[in-house]
Amino acid sequence: MELKHIGNSIDRIDSLAKVTGKAMYPQDYYVDNMLYGKTLRSIYPFAKINIDTREAQNLPGVIRIFTHNDVPNNAHGVLHKDQLVFCKDIVRRIGDPIAFVVAETEKICEEAIEKIKVQYEIMKPVLDPIEAMKEDSIKIHGDSNIVYHFKLRKGDALRALEESYFVATNTYKTHSIDHAFLQPEAGIGYLDENGNIAVIVATQYPHYDREEIAYCLNLPIENIRIINSNVGGAFGGREDITLQVHLALAAKTLNRVIKCVYSREESFLAHSKRHAMIMNYSTGVDKEGYLTAVKAEIIGDTGAYASWADNVLRKAGVHATGPYIVPNVMVDSYAVYTNNPYAGAMRGFGATQVAVAYEQQMDILARELKMSPVEIRLKNILKVGSITSTGQLLNNSVPLENCLRSVTE
Amino acid sequence: MIKRGKGLAISYYGTGYGNGYPDVSNAIVRLNKDGKVSIFVGGTEVGQGAKTVFVQIAAETLNINIEDIILYSEDTINTPDAGTAAASRQTYNTGNAIKLACEKFIEELKAKAKEILNLDSTEGLIVSDSNVYLNSSKNDKVSFLEIASNVKNGFFESQASFTAHTVEMDVETGQGEPYWPYTFSACEVEVEVNTLTGIVNIIHARFAQDVGKAVNPRMIEGQIDGGFYMGQSYCLFEDLNIVDGKIMNNKYSKYLLPTSMDTIDIDKIIIEDPESTAPFGAKGIGEPVTIPVAPAILNAIYDAINVRINELPATPDKIISALKKVKSEDQL
Repeated sequence: MELKHIGNSIDRIDSLAKVTGKAMYPQDYYVDNMLYGKTLRSIYPFAKINIDTREAQNLPGVIRIFTHNDVPNNAHGVLHKDQLVFCKDIVRRIGDPIAFVVAETEKICEEAIEKIKVQYEIMKPVLDPIEAMKEDSIKIHGDSNIVYHFKLRKGDALRALEESYFVATNTYKTHSIDHAFLQPEAGIGYLDENGNIAVIVATQYPHYDREEIAYCLNLPIENIRIINSNVGGAFGGREDITLQVHLALAAKTLNRVIKCVYSREESFLAHSKRHAMIMNYSTGVDKEGYLTAVKAEIIGDTGAYASWADNVLRKAGVHATGPYIVPNVMVDSYAVYTNNPYAGAMRGFGATQVAVAYEQQMDILARELKMSPVEIRLKNILKVGSITSTGQLLNNSVPLENCLRSVTE
Repeated sequence: MIKRGKGLAISYYGTGYGNGYPDVSNAIVRLNKDGKVSIFVGGTEVGQGAKTVFVQIAAETLNINIEDIILYSEDTINTPDAGTAAASRQTYNTGNAIKLACEKFIEELKAKAKEILNLDSTEGLIVSDSNVYLNSSKNDKVSFLEIASNVKNGFFESQASFTAHTVEMDVETGQGEPYWPYTFSACEVEVEVNTLTGIVNIIHARFAQDVGKAVNPRMIEGQIDGGFYMGQSYCLFEDLNIVDGKIMNNKYSKYLLPTSMDTIDIDKIIIEDPESTAPFGAKGIGEPVTIPVAPAILNAIYDAINVRINELPATPDKIISALKKVKSEDQL
């Protein structure tokens, strides 16, 4: 089939507006007479709190201070509704939102934030995911810190490792990182011409943001409208909501236009991070260099909230053996709560971390067998007709050998 | 001393939400009064090029000019839900939804043309360059504009939905078909490690990315560049330095990212092998392009200095202390 448009490197249709500065990002919107909002956040990773907003409320220019009392359904989260729009009794991480001040200027917002009294009764934080997994650990939510456990079983990995010619056993640790997108979170909330709540925001998924707002404010989704402006990078960091409900709540309550712009420092606090992982790997190989078994235990630190933790650790577990044919597999991956900054989606979504482990393992095996890194991979890679570690048949479009040869020949 | 080493890594990535979770994209195609075509779709342009890909897929399916398409993808008031701009799913999932909606739209156009041209069947009708022709007689044609002027309200639309193939895995064994399609990558880097300063410089890099079918090769190259630098940054630079739950490096003066001085020109190789269930064979590559970079660099560091860095990031201080550890073990 001859294609006219597919395969052409046409200019991006959004490029002219972006390179000429005409593209509008949320912080670019300005409306006369609009109000500003700012978030009060926790400064301790784990504490009981008590809030007194009376003095701040009396500050001239302060319009309203929103707290947990103002939110009909004070819970959100992409998988588990374990995050609060505003914390009520407990903060579980540094940066947890406690209150949202709306005032005539940003400066008054800042002064009011200073005047809100938060009494912290500090508790010992759980910062090590391995400690957090123990039965007698302090629990951050509910009765276990283990949010999710994924099991992958194929053949008899333990026996196959015992019978292997050589087994590489190593622990790899990857750290938590930020998405480091250019445009910090910002938004505008207002009531549109039909009286519906409109929020202009940069998001990865406007229809999901609409659902979260509708749930938290106990309104039908038809009453909520998300206008997704230009997005200054996301990489997973704009999957969970940040200021969406704050702006919607303020607009609905006050019937005014409210703007909120995060500083870079607040942006670091507000959105999720990449899961730090501890990966214990044993990879077995026979004399000829064919993989015999992989046993892996993967512990992902999801911090104070789950966000996408189940799906991230599932994706890590499914991809844990790498793009190879492995006859015997035993993978256990865990998502674990701690009081660290919360982790969620980030480019690769669990598949990025495990590659750090399985690809170093392959090189270690190659050196042991005095094979080249290319040779050992060619012996084991997935091809058309291969079955993956989860038993899935790859029936077409598996050009891995072509990729491998292209970078090495 | 400067030591050189080479490192290789390959990887794969399963597209989509996975594990049986409904992975749905919707799209609407509308004929406007002026004969142009509007596409309404809730898929987000996060910088990855989604808008351009959507328009290219629509233009190809409808066989019309790019300029005759108007894309709406910003406002929930007029766009159908197309899922999240994540999981490398927009090209595949939303691309498929747009293609299906455009195919339905073509059938609608043909039905209208049949009435206007007084034909007994839509057989033999061809849609090309914003006209509907009868292939046996080029005089029997009607333009999109004429069709629009014959339609009540001046516009009509077609809607389609695409649901990706995903099966929930067995809870005890993890066996099943969690994702589709899978996308493959390979990366080879050559590094120089300064054994006195611990600084790692990448001096050469090759990256091959399976794309199924390239919708826009230059945008794919842009993704490979961005994905590589992000992987390089993950491996060698970025460190939140979390102490007692607090992010110490919370601004870009402390949270280090590579600058143009730290990056190199990457040899980028696009591998085409069309995926049968994908729109024109195209798979998503947003995430795959970053995955093999960190392990390739770590393998290259080992090749250069015989030291394995098992803990990210591979910052200069970590490399120096690992070298010292090896040296003191050697002296024992």
